[in-house]
Amino acid sequence: MKTTARGRIATQVLLWAYAGVAAGPLLLVVLGSLRPNQDLLRDPLGLPQRPTLANYERAWQSASLSTYLWNSVLITAAAVALCTTVSLMAAYPLARWHFRGRAMLAAYFLSGLMLPIKLGILPIFYMFQSMSLIDSRLGLILLYAASGIPFSVFVLMAFLRGLPRDVEEAARIDGADELRLFRSVITPLARPAIATVAVFQIAPAWNDFFFPLVLLRSTDKYTIPVGLSRFFGEHAADRGALYAGLVLAVLPLVVVFVIASRQIVAGLTAGIGR
Amino acid sequence: MSRRVCSAVSSSGSGLVAKRGAGSSGRVGWTAFFCGPAALLYTVFVVVPLVTALWYSIFSWRGTTQGPLSGLDNYATVLTAYPYQDQLLRAFGHNGVFFVGTMLVQNTVGLALALLLHRAPLGRRLFQTLYSLPYLISPLVVGYLWSMLLSPSFGPVNAVLEAVGLDALARPWLGDPGTALPVVVLVNAWQWVGGPMLIFGAALAAVPAELEESARIDGASAWKTFWTVRFPLILPTVGVVTLLTFIGTFNVFDLVFALGGSSGGPGQAMDVLGLLFYRLAFQGGVNAIGLSSALAMLMFVFVFGISLLVDRMLRRREVNP
Amino acid sequence: MAKLARWVLAAAVVAAATGCAPGGAPADGNITLNVWGWRTEDVAAYNKIFERYEKNHPGVNVEYRAFKNTEYNTILLTGLAGDAGPDLAQLRAYGELQPSIASGGLLALDGQIEALKSFPSSTLDGVRSKDDGKVYGVPFAIQTMHVIYNKKLFAAHAIAPPATWQDMTAGADTLQSAGVTPFAVTVRDDWMLPIEHEIFGAGRYGGPDFRERLLRGNAKFTDPDYVASIELYAGTTKYWQPKFSGVGYDDAKALFASGKAAMFPGGVWELAEFRRAVPDIEMGIFNVPPPPDAKVNKTLTPGFVDGSFGVSSRTPRQAQALELARWMASAEFGQAFSDELTQISAVPGTTPTDPLLKQAFEGFRANPGPYLMYGDFGYGTPSGAELLRAGLADVLLGRKSAADVASGLQRGVEQWFRPRG
Repeated sequence: MKTTARGRIATQVLLWAYAGVAAGPLLLVVLGSLRPNQDLLRDPLGLPQRPTLANYERAWQSASLSTYLWNSVLITAAAVALCTTVSLMAAYPLARWHFRGRAMLAAYFLSGLMLPIKLGILPIFYMFQSMSLIDSRLGLILLYAASGIPFSVFVLMAFLRGLPRDVEEAARIDGADELRLFRSVITPLARPAIATVAVFQIAPAWNDFFFPLVLLRSTDKYTIPVGLSRFFGEHAADRGALYAGLVLAVLPLVVVFVIASRQIVAGLTAGIGR
Repeated sequence: MSRRVCSAVSSSGSGLVAKRGAGSSGRVGWTAFFCGPAALLYTVFVVVPLVTALWYSIFSWRGTTQGPLSGLDNYATVLTAYPYQDQLLRAFGHNGVFFVGTMLVQNTVGLALALLLHRAPLGRRLFQTLYSLPYLISPLVVGYLWSMLLSPSFGPVNAVLEAVGLDALARPWLGDPGTALPVVVLVNAWQWVGGPMLIFGAALAAVPAELEESARIDGASAWKTFWTVRFPLILPTVGVVTLLTFIGTFNVFDLVFALGGSSGGPGQAMDVLGLLFYRLAFQGGVNAIGLSSALAMLMFVFVFGISLLVDRMLRRREVNP
Repeated sequence: MAKLARWVLAAAVVAAATGCAPGGAPADGNITLNVWGWRTEDVAAYNKIFERYEKNHPGVNVEYRAFKNTEYNTILLTGLAGDAGPDLAQLRAYGELQPSIASGGLLALDGQIEALKSFPSSTLDGVRSKDDGKVYGVPFAIQTMHVIYNKKLFAAHAIAPPATWQDMTAGADTLQSAGVTPFAVTVRDDWMLPIEHEIFGAGRYGGPDFRERLLRGNAKFTDPDYVASIELYAGTTKYWQPKFSGVGYDDAKALFASGKAAMFPGGVWELAEFRRAVPDIEMGIFNVPPPPDAKVNKTLTPGFVDGSFGVSSRTPRQAQALELARWMASAEFGQAFSDELTQISAVPGTTPTDPLLKQAFEGFRANPGPYLMYGDFGYGTPSGAELLRAGLADVLLGRKSAADVASGLQRGVEQWFRPRG
């Protein structure tokens, strides 16, 4: 069946059909963002007759999206970098050394996979208050980095386990200490897994809107989702601008994902997927 | 859960772990150096707040002011007071349906897509990217988008059904207790199917091609080859996906909130534990913190316990396939 | 990649660290009063109102900052409990106000604001503590509930605002046979259901008289009149849009605004939003005339206190904050509020200039109806609103009888509700 022409065509048809299901609704948003409001209200589904970027102009100007975008980029990038760095460091001994309490420590990290951190909003608030982290982007960076650790450790551990044993041996014989070994041998080898972990951390941090809403106070520190929710409240009737705002909010993620997709697949292949 | 994950991890690399240096004092320093930052960050910002939240559950609260120790009173209220007792059971059942539905739809479709892509390398990355796009969008936005698409007054879904003469199938989708929960399961699957697809795809890529070849030479059909050759080999991956699905579906909140509001839609047909927690925490009156923390504790114990149990079962299954 | 990550991390830490330096007072000696609220759609109007205050109070800036309404209660609780919180805050009324008071985050205003004495006691009930009976906020708005109708559609089908229940159903029949949806009603956003029930059913169960008996313990929700009011409300569904159970709040509003439906049962606050969406819309309002077997032979206008502005007990600028709160109890603020926001000010003696608002307010003043679930039965857990929302949805879907829902409501609130005297 694999080799017949009919089978190949059927496979392609199925794949394209599901691509329509997956991307179709998103396409509606993109098309909608190019149409004026009156058209949208009359016929929510039509094609843009005279495509216009006016919605984007309105969204960009009235919502100070550039500020929100910068905050989101800053917070997400820093949180993901921090999370990936510390998770990779922790995953290394957990995956490749034998020491007492290793299984316990791994279990401790991984149990975080099933803790919904939202339940802790009030204690987090009080803790942030005592650390002067209210209304601070640093607070969010630390929070997102910490909440990404269980999943990152999980994936990185699985990946590092799969590396052949001799990768460290050569370096050890050369007299490298553990830190050098980690930096110059393990880290480069783990690159696909790092990409996987990073991308899986980016979306939740980028999209979170609950914590910034409660923990930030100044509008000039707002992230994209909070800014958008504010914008939604003020312009509930302006559907075209809402669509444009959504597109602008998702676009950076899509770009990152497309760039990193080869690495992600490689990371999964070598890690949890085996 | 954690043991299952660990066992999955160790089974994939057993024997590769460097045995030297175990217990030596230098290693202890290095271990602390490597694990310390993650442990510190994770403990301070994840574990401590959650443990504190659970500690809150044995006090009665007046707004944000901690009142006297109340023992198990909050638990008694959540478990026995009307209407929470009924809501808890119903929400729990809905989470169960959510889990089973997600396994059947999301993970099956994810596996099917992974198989199709496995045999059709042409454009594989394009498809993988397209299928994963919905994952990049916040669940709240996904909810907003789909409630527009499914709207009986303005939505295209019913409009299309009516245009092709299938009026009888047009429904108030999210307002019909019979369809609301299945619809949420489908939308959720639409958003997350990229995950299992990528993971299963990676697992399939790791199955040695010679095994399939030899099965095919024996004259086995593609269907049979899959079940006898490939599936047993990707069983550990199925286990990991099952557990991640279980944890995800019992903690689901954002999407259901966006599609059904805080009470889970008309007839509370979409009510889940996450929404019940939200109602107790944010609309629960003066003792909201106490009551919602008690529910959080119950949810955590349940998810943790079942995860361990499922882990056991899966591992037993793996031993004698 | 690792190198890049290090750079990004370093940059972020520096930026975040410099970004969290405390704001402090501006160099020119001005002070800023932060007022928090949930009306994201009204930020511009509030800032315009506060400009009048700033003009007469040199050196004081007032900034209205709005947060998403669904998360506002949580944000306010944390804001009142910690640093960088508000000086004044917009507060919900009745039961939803109690957690903020119980947390100790608010200043009692008795004796601080003279003008509060002129507010009617029924208005102050919305801003009182259930524990100490003190007043914790200056009420800003009265919200009333009506049937909003499209004047053009009514004229096109020769329908007048109804004087009797039969008029109303006859008008709805006319519209329906002409292919116009009589009522656009939301079911999916079920917080609207108790409001819709009051609009259609208040006269049937008896409105304020029944409330009085409930509060004294002489009546129950299981009484036949209350059960019948639920049945009456559910009986109007034949005039609602097709597949009504799947229609959300925004969709129902869009049905009315686009002229596909002729009437919308809802709050007076919808008027401004309809006008914003369709600037040339011509609307009128009426209240549901007494239905058959009504316990009250008057047309009731249900209404309630929307909320208030309170003063944080932690603000370092208490004197200035109180001064602003005093202004918010004045006729000047009341008039500015009703002019800029097109809402009914709670300040006594203020009359709305907008004719529809005026009609709404006069209806409420003449024959007020209660909003039982938000008002008197919102103080405990489970709240009446929570119980009735779910219950009414079950009735509309045909899954429960009105009697079952009424007994569930009674059973739920009995767990905490204590009749007085």
